[in-house]
Amino acid sequence: MAGRRVAIVGIGYSTVGRTTGLTLEELAAQAAKAAMDDAGLTAKDIDGVATHSFPHQLVAATQAADLIGIPDVAWYSGSVDGAAYSVAALHGAAAVASGSCDTCLTLRVVHRAGAAGNTRAHPDAAAGTQQFLAPYGVLSAVQWAGMYMQRHMAEFGTTEEQFGAFAIAQREYASRNPDALLRTPLTMDDYLAARYVAAPARLLDCDYPVDAGSALIFTTEERARDLRQKPVFFDAWAMGTTDQTDFHLLEDMPRSSPWRAAERMWSRTTLRPADVDVAGLYDGFTFIAMQWLEALGFCGLGESGPFVESGATRLDGSIPTNTDGGACNVGRRHGANFFIEVTRQLRGGQCGERQVPGAEVGVVSNAVGGYASCALLTAG
Amino acid sequence: MIVPVPDRLTAFYWEAARRGELQLLRCDGCGTFRHWPKPMCRACGSMHLSPATVSGRGTVYSWTVAHQAFHPAFADRLPYVIVVVELEEQAGLRVLATLEDVAPEDVTAGMAVEVAFTEVAPDVVLPVFRPARGHVSASGAA
Repeated sequence: MAGRRVAIVGIGYSTVGRTTGLTLEELAAQAAKAAMDDAGLTAKDIDGVATHSFPHQLVAATQAADLIGIPDVAWYSGSVDGAAYSVAALHGAAAVASGSCDTCLTLRVVHRAGAAGNTRAHPDAAAGTQQFLAPYGVLSAVQWAGMYMQRHMAEFGTTEEQFGAFAIAQREYASRNPDALLRTPLTMDDYLAARYVAAPARLLDCDYPVDAGSALIFTTEERARDLRQKPVFFDAWAMGTTDQTDFHLLEDMPRSSPWRAAERMWSRTTLRPADVDVAGLYDGFTFIAMQWLEALGFCGLGESGPFVESGATRLDGSIPTNTDGGACNVGRRHGANFFIEVTRQLRGGQCGERQVPGAEVGVVSNAVGGYASCALLTAG
Repeated sequence: MIVPVPDRLTAFYWEAARRGELQLLRCDGCGTFRHWPKPMCRACGSMHLSPATVSGRGTVYSWTVAHQAFHPAFADRLPYVIVVVELEEQAGLRVLATLEDVAPEDVTAGMAVEVAFTEVAPDVVLPVFRPARGHVSASGAA
């Protein structure tokens, strides 16, 4: 990657829970404070802010800067577009790499209420692109998730039990993570007994909606060396999209945007999939992480079902994946948890019973369908 | 009931549906279809696209069986099939709708379907799909 080397130096969460009663600004401030404390920085040390928000839960970057007392922002980005937290992360990383700012706070704040289709009141008339979806009752992301899973099953013979194997493996990690909200180990019977929401997608294929604020702070290698934590560096990153960005109509559901982003990322590094010790792969729905396993080259196209079933994503497998338990279990922190957990893994010794011994290279990813991004991180 | 709100670019689509036709925008220059309606051809960059009637025949690309309603209007239909159909006119040309007159367990990828039209409110007609005439489903029902 061109430009200055970028280090992750601070990570932090707000109080996270199903219903915290906290406002978006409280969640943002708590997360930012936690990340600054982790790094040993104050707001006066920060000169860049990048946020990602749902449009109806906006936390603007300039608003966040004012909120925490950054005296003068040299560079900011407040995105409501694309691949969730990773958009804020890659905007922040690119800004530090380019010299647009030196130390950037990145934020993802989400409220459970209203984030998902099932908790938002839908009107009786639909305009814009919704006019082609809502009249058929297509109102929730879980409905395209069901279609992506179904297409993978039809094209490659993937089974519902193989999606279940991923859910079970993630929950096993969650049982070792005190910060996870869902920690009771799952059996295949539990998975198969979970109700269908949009078949074949079950409730246990869905991430767990929560109130959450997540923050990471990035800075230059030079500054990182003086801070509290062992730095973790970005080795490469990339975004990608598809022929069209509508998740329902794009041409190839099993080979959607993660394939573009992954190919682009690998073209920007000398590292190879076999070098990666730990993965944090977005699991808004279980199948998304499985598409990433294929797109990133940890297994072949269409092979993620048997790959996951073999135990490859478990702690003793070839690519330990979502060691915090994933968004299905730590809650929908909308991508930020993967960056935070892999950073902890690469710092070493911060993940307790779920630590991947000697982890030096990690990969993180976010989103699927119309837009996606991923990044390679290395221990400092 | 959720009714579509047509706009400048989409009014033709809903007017055609009221006449029992499926129309999509097609580039005047290179003939490439584009759905949903947009003001520009992705293939050649032309700004000139016009509605063209399509056969309404295609195959199932993927589908999901809705078991949860996200609006009260759909609660009494559960479970029902939401489908993405690839139309025969162009590779990758997809339309989303419901698939009617078929049991969820009988839907397969690649099954032949055809468009039908259902009036869901006065003057509001939705294109939907059903198994193509002559198609025999896995359970033997036509």
